[in-house]
Amino acid sequence: MLETFNSLMMGFAVAFEPKVFMYAVAGCIIGTLVGMMPGLGPLAGISLLLPATFGLNPIIAIVLLSGVYYGAMYGGSTTSILMRIPGEAASVMTCVDGYAMTQNGRAGPALAIAAIGSFFAGTVGVIGLMLMAPTLASFALRFGPPEYTALLLMGLFVLAYMSGGSMLKTLAMAFFGLLLGMIGIDVMTGYTRFSFGLVELGDGVGIVPVAVGLFGISEILMTAGQAEPPKVQKPKLRELIPSREEFRLSVGPIIRGSLLGFAIGIIPGSAHVISSFVSYGVERRLSKHPERFGKGAIEGVAGPESANNSAATGAFVPMLALGIPTGPVTAVMIAAIMVHGILPGPMLIEQQPELFWGFVASMYVGNMVLLILNLPMVGLFVNLLRIPYAYLYPCILAFCILGCYSVSNSVTDVWIMLGMGAIGYGLRKFGFDLAPVALGLVLGPMLELSLRQSLAMSGGTYAIFLERPIAVTMFGLALLLLALALKPVLFKSRDWRADVGLDDKTDGAPPGK
Amino acid sequence: MPESPESPLQEDSRGLKSDRFSGAVLIALACWIAWLNLEFPLGTLADPGPGYVPLLLAVGLGVIGLLVALFGGGSEPLRGIRWTEARRALVILVACAALTFALERIGYRLSVFAFLVFFLGVIERKHPLAVLAVAAGFSIVSFHVVAVMLGVPLPRGPWGF
Amino acid sequence: MKTRHLLSVLLLACGVAQAQDVFPSRSITMIVPFPPGGVADVTGRPTAAALEKALKQPVAVTNRPGAGGAVGNAAVANAKPDGYTVLMALSSITVIPEADKLFNRKPAYTLDQFAPVALVSADPVILVVHPSLPVKTVKEVIALARKQPGELSYSSSGVYGALHMPMEMFLHAAKLKMRHVPTTGGGPAITQLLGGHVTMTAGGPAAITSHVKAGKLRPIVTWGAERHPNYKEVPTFKEQGLDIVYYIWAGMFVPVATPEPVIKVLRDAVRQAVADPDFKSQMAKVNSPVNYLDAPDFAKYVDADAKRLAAVVKVVGKIGN
Repeated sequence: MLETFNSLMMGFAVAFEPKVFMYAVAGCIIGTLVGMMPGLGPLAGISLLLPATFGLNPIIAIVLLSGVYYGAMYGGSTTSILMRIPGEAASVMTCVDGYAMTQNGRAGPALAIAAIGSFFAGTVGVIGLMLMAPTLASFALRFGPPEYTALLLMGLFVLAYMSGGSMLKTLAMAFFGLLLGMIGIDVMTGYTRFSFGLVELGDGVGIVPVAVGLFGISEILMTAGQAEPPKVQKPKLRELIPSREEFRLSVGPIIRGSLLGFAIGIIPGSAHVISSFVSYGVERRLSKHPERFGKGAIEGVAGPESANNSAATGAFVPMLALGIPTGPVTAVMIAAIMVHGILPGPMLIEQQPELFWGFVASMYVGNMVLLILNLPMVGLFVNLLRIPYAYLYPCILAFCILGCYSVSNSVTDVWIMLGMGAIGYGLRKFGFDLAPVALGLVLGPMLELSLRQSLAMSGGTYAIFLERPIAVTMFGLALLLLALALKPVLFKSRDWRADVGLDDKTDGAPPGK
Repeated sequence: MPESPESPLQEDSRGLKSDRFSGAVLIALACWIAWLNLEFPLGTLADPGPGYVPLLLAVGLGVIGLLVALFGGGSEPLRGIRWTEARRALVILVACAALTFALERIGYRLSVFAFLVFFLGVIERKHPLAVLAVAAGFSIVSFHVVAVMLGVPLPRGPWGF
Repeated sequence: MKTRHLLSVLLLACGVAQAQDVFPSRSITMIVPFPPGGVADVTGRPTAAALEKALKQPVAVTNRPGAGGAVGNAAVANAKPDGYTVLMALSSITVIPEADKLFNRKPAYTLDQFAPVALVSADPVILVVHPSLPVKTVKEVIALARKQPGELSYSSSGVYGALHMPMEMFLHAAKLKMRHVPTTGGGPAITQLLGGHVTMTAGGPAAITSHVKAGKLRPIVTWGAERHPNYKEVPTFKEQGLDIVYYIWAGMFVPVATPEPVIKVLRDAVRQAVADPDFKSQMAKVNSPVNYLDAPDFAKYVDADAKRLAAVVKVVGKIGN
């Protein structure tokens, strides 16, 4: 313990070196700006900045990149809350209640709670990373394809709690999302599925163009043509601060989200993106007033935002302790230190203590900087809503196209985004919820791959799922979740009717008429 | 439901229901995907091929579409859905498509400038000076930030813009 | 009369000026068909920096990732053949058209759409096993695999990918059967092995070094023609009696219609670039051995590699049929 403390002090000494500190702050600011551009998220941010770090020393490089990474997540929540434009898969859930809060004139509190939740989650994540990295990392390695399959199935059951609308429509959208995820080269056999001869679809449709299209573009299509333009909001200072009640409601979701996010984040693979979806589902399930979700419930912002941030920190555990990438973001980070001749691996912590502890300390610093930077900025950001909509929406559209294009210099991504905008518009007109599409698209390819990888490992027997303790435990949990979800269906017939949309309250037509 | 002048009350509750319609669209989509999927080997349960999971999902989508349609009797009638903003939505989509098409042909700054002039000047009818200021400012500043500072090679047209 | 004279002089001057308008007169774009941080990227960027010095013009790296490199490769294949768009491709450039043929797909590009400029680096892969596997030599691996046919498993970077091809070469040469667990890249392939979910994989030397040093992976044999400088104790397949060679290489290409003088300028520039001390130290840092071949030799090299890999793709055939 004392040793950890001493090492951490050494880390802080590194992090507070003027040059390192300066780059940490610069990273946070650049990241926030990049994240605020619609369509540009953390991955795009650090990919764009990576070449610029080749000339720096490795500690500064990784401190700068992690600052960009965190900053982009903060910035991403800002656009999600204010304009309903997610910068990455993980902020899709923030769009739902965050934007609803903006429409209710509560943009300030939403932004503030998102910042505070992210800060808390980031801190929890760093502490976990610091104390448990080596232990957790070797545990995380035991997550092979069968465990992954179980985890992703659990993620799928979140659907049951995801929206307040008709369960059938939610499922339909989830299937639509899962099917979208089937586009592209099949990793197991090399077949190109549903690509219509377009080489660019070989890697499938990216989640960012789909999410920006479904949420951001469709919102503009719905709003811009209304006879009366949306009222320009003139937020007062008092309305920027969350109320006592909002604080009270947020505490639980922030703590739960942080722990949940960290647990999911340490698992190698790209599963950490589901943390915010899971957190949203959990909060809605636990809430006494689940009907508030989707209409501007602060818990729906606090939970997912915290989960997202601590998952991001958790993702650094296998990267630093084992030198294995947990997803595209950490792969870029590893590249950033590899070009300096440092090989991340099991011995990184011993061989490069300044790098490891300097990085850990700079994450504390970065979180602090972001909180200090962002809380006062809430006022400024909210003032964006003062811009008349007639000026705002063409600029947002241009931004979306610019952001979407710059991620991989691909016009195809822009076409996907526009197509999804049109589809999202249509679906919303018919009362379909869009968040399940995003979840399906994220889960689909991973779930299919891990299932088929498991079968490849076992030579085709499904027993592999029952032979491995972690997988069995998780399947058990998944079944329990399913049972909980089905309980109202089985025991309360009235709830069931409401769930499947038989008993549509708005219409009031008695069934059987 | 408020009565609308052009459609009498009886008509409002009769006719095709919106959920029946969307259920049918979902079924059609599922069939189309299943048809596209014929091209890929299915494999077996023990060794699923590239067509296995998509087929399962397409069947799932079809079944759910059917259920949506079956239980959709109580939903809002199709003609009850108002499309007041649809025309503008179409204009926006076409304009965005034009911008996307022009992006790599005439360059980023020029196409975005034209895009913003179209929206602010033609659609929203703002003051010409404001239109020019916003359009020029936006295209130049955003180009500078993204192409120069972030190093993204944004497309330039034949005239170097 | 005078004016006409003047005009013809002017025209002549223009003509001369045009002839003197030597390549390159503006910035060059180097397309890297993989995301930032990948092998192609960390090879491409130092090369671009060294080319800048040699050509006295900026060389901007553009990442065009997608479909295992097919998107970026196709972009260069169809680019204007003026030398201002160059490609830093990996060895997968020869496999993709073969896989397209196998599936009767409209090919994204064909190999004859490119003119080779130079080979920049080449690195053999190394067979690594999980330390719990009781084998130390390739003979023991083969013996174990014979004893348990179809029980051992290996991970790869994806079917027909850079780590799948060498494994298939090995399995075919030694007449073995193993379970194949494809993943989405070189990193995940190693993660699967580290977790003990598969028993072996073919790994790039740079990616496995730290794990081998920590004793988490055991190197068995290399696909190199000779022993790897960082793994002197690891024998080659040839030494072990199997005639298989496989390198992951990175090389520069331009569209095939690029004029010969322009290619010449680029070839000279790459020759200067690979001798640049900054370039050498940068490549040493990422553990990527510089392996330079000029266009004529590189063309032969690509040809031989393409033939060898095409044969492997044919042997593997369509999976799941």
